[in-house]
Amino acid sequence: MKDPFEAAYEEEDSPPASPPPLPEEEAPTMEGEDEEVAPGSHPSAAAPSNVANASTVAIGGKGKDDEEEEEEENMDVELRKFSSTGDPDKMAKMQEILSQFCEEQMSRYESFRRSGFQKSVMRRLLAAITGSQKISVPMTIVVSGIAKMFVGELVETGRIVMRERKESGPIRPCHIREACRRLKLEGKVPRRSVRRLFR
Amino acid sequence: MHNSSSAQAAKPKAGSSQLSEASLKRKRGMFQKDLQHMMYGFGDDPNPLPETVALVEDIVVEYITDLVHKAQDIASKRGKLLTDDFLFLIRKDMPKLHRCTELLSMNEELKQARKAFEVDEEKITSTD
Repeated sequence: MKDPFEAAYEEEDSPPASPPPLPEEEAPTMEGEDEEVAPGSHPSAAAPSNVANASTVAIGGKGKDDEEEEEEENMDVELRKFSSTGDPDKMAKMQEILSQFCEEQMSRYESFRRSGFQKSVMRRLLAAITGSQKISVPMTIVVSGIAKMFVGELVETGRIVMRERKESGPIRPCHIREACRRLKLEGKVPRRSVRRLFR
Repeated sequence: MHNSSSAQAAKPKAGSSQLSEASLKRKRGMFQKDLQHMMYGFGDDPNPLPETVALVEDIVVEYITDLVHKAQDIASKRGKLLTDDFLFLIRKDMPKLHRCTELLSMNEELKQARKAFEVDEEKITSTD
């Protein structure tokens, strides 16, 4: 049986284009659907969704040849079959959900899976912060993963804030600031332990 | 008068913040393109507002900075900075912890697969 994510994955052969602008009237209806999709896929740690995302991280190098990309994609197919998270029940559930996606949901899900921080930029940032030049590849992978999930928390909390304020449309900075404030209260944002004495 | 004194007080602050920004040499929009796709994937508009993207980038860079500094504090007792220090920091956050262990094991598997692939290639080319 063909892996469901391979099926969805192989449909998109061209590199991800920027998301197409959608007409305004679809925006309010999206919100309900998004909150179903995003929390469902976002916190699920095991699921094959993370497997494909990891392979996307591997493929995401922009300076690679086409041959190398194909080789890695083929390797990812093999690995996904052997991966321990290839729980048939979960995969069947995901396949069920994915098959019922409308086009707009599929595009959003694709963006969710394929997006990531560029390794080179992340490595440069980490080197600047730590002061050391050598940043191992696993470290960039871990920090990129943590940062991506943090962005997810910000955006989702921002949407929750918008729903509470009964606003619609693109997320505005005020929502993000409120979201950040709430995350800090929950303790999800690391703070310096030294208290600022003289404000 | 109050304005001038506050302006004078503000100047050294602005200077020091400019200094810290210059020393970090952080360009605006480091992650701009990636963040746009990412925010759309997580629920934002297909075209997020530029100011929102800029704010999220600032917040994420600050988050990473604080995270790395905390990890360095932990690592300083042992010596080198390792990925385990980051895993320790997010131990309370189950989704992030699971995700990171997953990513690391996938990375290992891919490395093994690449090695095996290269070994096979060598075998094929040597037999030719």
